[in-house]
Amino acid sequence: MPPSTVCTAKASYKKAPGLLELTDTHLQWSQDGKKAPSIRVPYAELASLFCSKEGAAQVRLKVGLVSDDAGHNFTFTSPQPVALSERETFKRELTNIIARNRSTAEPTTPKPVIATSPITPVSNGHPPPLRPSGAATPALPPPISRAASVVSSGGTPGPGGAVSASDFKLRKKVLVNNPELATLHRELVMTGQITEAEFWEGREHLLAAQAAADSQKRGRPGALVDPRPQTVEGGDIKIVITPQLVHDIFEEFPIVAKAYNENVPKPLNEADFWKRYFQSKLFHAHRASIRSSATQNVVKDDPIFDKYLEKEDNELEPRRQRDEEVEIFIDLGATQEDHDVTGNEKDITMQAGKQKGVLPLIRKFNEHSERLLKSALGEDGPTTKRRRIDDDASHLRDYYAQIDIEDLHDLQDTTGIILEMQDRQRYFEGGMKSAASEDASKHEIDIKVALREAKDNLHDWAGALSNLKLEKKAADASVVAMTQNVQARLTTKTRKNDIPEGLFRQMRTCQTAANEFLRQFWSSVYPPLSDLQSANPPTPAQKAAKAAKMAGYLAKTHEKVEALVRTAHAEGIDPERVRVAMKPLTDAVDQALTFHRTRKPVNAK
Amino acid sequence: MDKPSHISVILDLSPSQWHLSSLPENPHPLSLRSFLSQLLAFLNLHIASKHENTLAVFGAFPSKSVMLYSSTDPEADNTENVNPNMYHPFQVVDSRVVTRIEEELESLDQSEEEAPIGLVGALTKALCYINRIIHPSASQSSGTTSEDPTTLPDPRILVLSVSPDLSTSYIPIMNSIFSAQKLKVVIDVCKVYGPDTVFLEQAAHLTGGSYIYLDRRDALLQHLIMSHMPSPALRKLMTVPTQDKIDFRAACFCHKNIVDIGFVCSVCLSIFCAPVPVCSTCRTKFPIKTLQRLNASRPPGLKPANGALKTAPSTPHTRGPSTPR
Ligand SMILES: [Zn+2]
Ligand SMILES: [Zn+2]
Repeated sequence: MPPSTVCTAKASYKKAPGLLELTDTHLQWSQDGKKAPSIRVPYAELASLFCSKEGAAQVRLKVGLVSDDAGHNFTFTSPQPVALSERETFKRELTNIIARNRSTAEPTTPKPVIATSPITPVSNGHPPPLRPSGAATPALPPPISRAASVVSSGGTPGPGGAVSASDFKLRKKVLVNNPELATLHRELVMTGQITEAEFWEGREHLLAAQAAADSQKRGRPGALVDPRPQTVEGGDIKIVITPQLVHDIFEEFPIVAKAYNENVPKPLNEADFWKRYFQSKLFHAHRASIRSSATQNVVKDDPIFDKYLEKEDNELEPRRQRDEEVEIFIDLGATQEDHDVTGNEKDITMQAGKQKGVLPLIRKFNEHSERLLKSALGEDGPTTKRRRIDDDASHLRDYYAQIDIEDLHDLQDTTGIILEMQDRQRYFEGGMKSAASEDASKHEIDIKVALREAKDNLHDWAGALSNLKLEKKAADASVVAMTQNVQARLTTKTRKNDIPEGLFRQMRTCQTAANEFLRQFWSSVYPPLSDLQSANPPTPAQKAAKAAKMAGYLAKTHEKVEALVRTAHAEGIDPERVRVAMKPLTDAVDQALTFHRTRKPVNAK
Repeated sequence: MDKPSHISVILDLSPSQWHLSSLPENPHPLSLRSFLSQLLAFLNLHIASKHENTLAVFGAFPSKSVMLYSSTDPEADNTENVNPNMYHPFQVVDSRVVTRIEEELESLDQSEEEAPIGLVGALTKALCYINRIIHPSASQSSGTTSEDPTTLPDPRILVLSVSPDLSTSYIPIMNSIFSAQKLKVVIDVCKVYGPDTVFLEQAAHLTGGSYIYLDRRDALLQHLIMSHMPSPALRKLMTVPTQDKIDFRAACFCHKNIVDIGFVCSVCLSIFCAPVPVCSTCRTKFPIKTLQRLNASRPPGLKPANGALKTAPSTPHTRGPSTPR
């Protein structure tokens, strides 16, 4: 079956006239008169897109590839109006594809997607094909940052609209990570009870969270490169070399990269190089711990690698001097000359190099940390973070500003908010007074009489006490009542669940489905959780339609519960127990249905 | 085995409520006299059940609250006419409690209307008292009682209530509940007469106590013994009756209507039945856009009449029937 074509246009490539085609898998161009396309780019290769200015003499489109930034230049050769609309079509399609590529791109090779074009910016009047996320600076390699600024790849995952492939992927991921939701999805959407779009309505935050999680880029691992040899029988050691490990070693120890460049493939081949490296003194000098002594016996003199051995970095002055000026507030030496004057004791706790043996290790760690920090900030090129730090540095001279710590400022303006309920008296008194005054008015109590009566009641209390006896009938009745009270709570606590699993599962299914309908119902009645979640909120008419639909589903709940009750009866389970178990659900359903009924007439007018 | 226990009993002594309670048309009328005899029997039982048990009795009178008796009060020893047929400590408690009630009733000013009951005061005093006895080292100067920290009593409060909720005391009662929670003091409530009180229901629920609505008021003593005699420690082994339904739904701050879904101020958590432009509690102004959005998407049937906020709330029903949760 030939691949179906999405769109085509007459276009020249390198001045040769031809046909540009977008199939459902490739972007391809074939020269006029030739059968096979001479350019064929799979979707996954498409990385960026540039357009010539509207009104320019030529209608051009440039496609950048993952493997080749230069990419291909096409010129649309139809008469201008046609060419423009053709290009618009390609632009739209390609933008979607690139966006999808971008969202699934391997984290290690993030490619910038157009925002501004080196040729010409995307025409005015039309919205840019992609919402540039954050300040994209395509001229520079993107900083490797943990929090990439990708929000969503084109289009809101809102209801109604067509679902893009990336949205679909997101939904799938959310369901995979969320078995309970997946079950609900299976039970409701796959059985056609509610639509896919309805299901996700009100759950946009899950998708947004997933998208955010996906767009997080893994930063460099913080561990020192320290390949651990595995001992195999015969006392040999084995180290598995992966491309990643090689990369890490070269980065961590440039000297090894140098040695590699100078000695591979001649005089050493790749395998020999690594074999000898791991047995060399050089490798053991690079180890992150003093564990090396344990494998000392395998360390051999090596005429090649020993040339690259550096002297142990354990002199008082580190081999690699920091070229930065030390900030005065963290420089311990800065106040040294004052010590005699002020009578301060000489600091003996922080003596660099007191223990010579640890110096190389400390320095190695420091260098490693520095490298890590630099890679996070984007070593090559003035990224925003770096610039910010430089800006700070320019204020270094303002010492006061440096020691002026905001947290230590006295908070002047924290009067707080006084919480004072309006008409508190009215609020609280409102209902209750009626009860009290009702009583009072019924009996017209004379306070003086009541008081006298109270006092009278105190007379001869001792006599009353010694004659105290409980009516048997009253005592028995209250004992029975209280026992029942306790018993009721005890039985619910101790009774085992003996409903058969099959029935129990049906009950659960009924419950989750009705719950979802309730959720849908109320969410179509009440305001959405926030303004942000959906770009195009449903219209009142849509909401009303949905509420009606859900009410229709809810109306069947009683039927379903009755069916469960019958099943219980058939299986010899007390049907009343099922009914009681489902009662909260049916109550909630009734509440929603009553609400729906009473509200309808208002809606109709 | 079990620790000594302390009860601070709070007596609701509103003369008019007791008058109503004793009226013969009640299903089971209960007079103050009968109440006192049964109460005294219960107090004696508490003292007798363990030598180290302690007791305090507080009276809530119209517009005032007083401590009527406490085990740590030396005054309590001055008893006149000794009854040789009675266990002496019982007599001390009984006569002291009754005498003090008499004194306090005597000093009530005889106005036309009965002043609001001093329940909050009594509750607060009880909490202060308990706080003092469970932190003896801080307060006890001379050794009136020898309290070794290991034998400190397990404290609880028992409220015997006859008055309806006093709405103005909502906030102080809630604060007392929080203090009780912090002190780990259980509040038991026995509603002897009158309608259920929401505040005391919540007090019992929130402090882990039990709330009893007294149906058979002629069997008060039976109830007290079965429900309020076992100490909190003992209740882990022995279930005591309590009320099993409490209405937790919130009432809107504007009309005191019970709402299923309300609008909550994001600053102070006040609850409203309809979106409001300004929070009436903390005066926070809400963005007009939010207000419009909330109003626009509210179900048409629920939109309030515009005057609703201004007119005094009409609340024909005090509370809806409490729903079992
Ligand atoms: Zn209201
Ligand atoms: Zn507020």
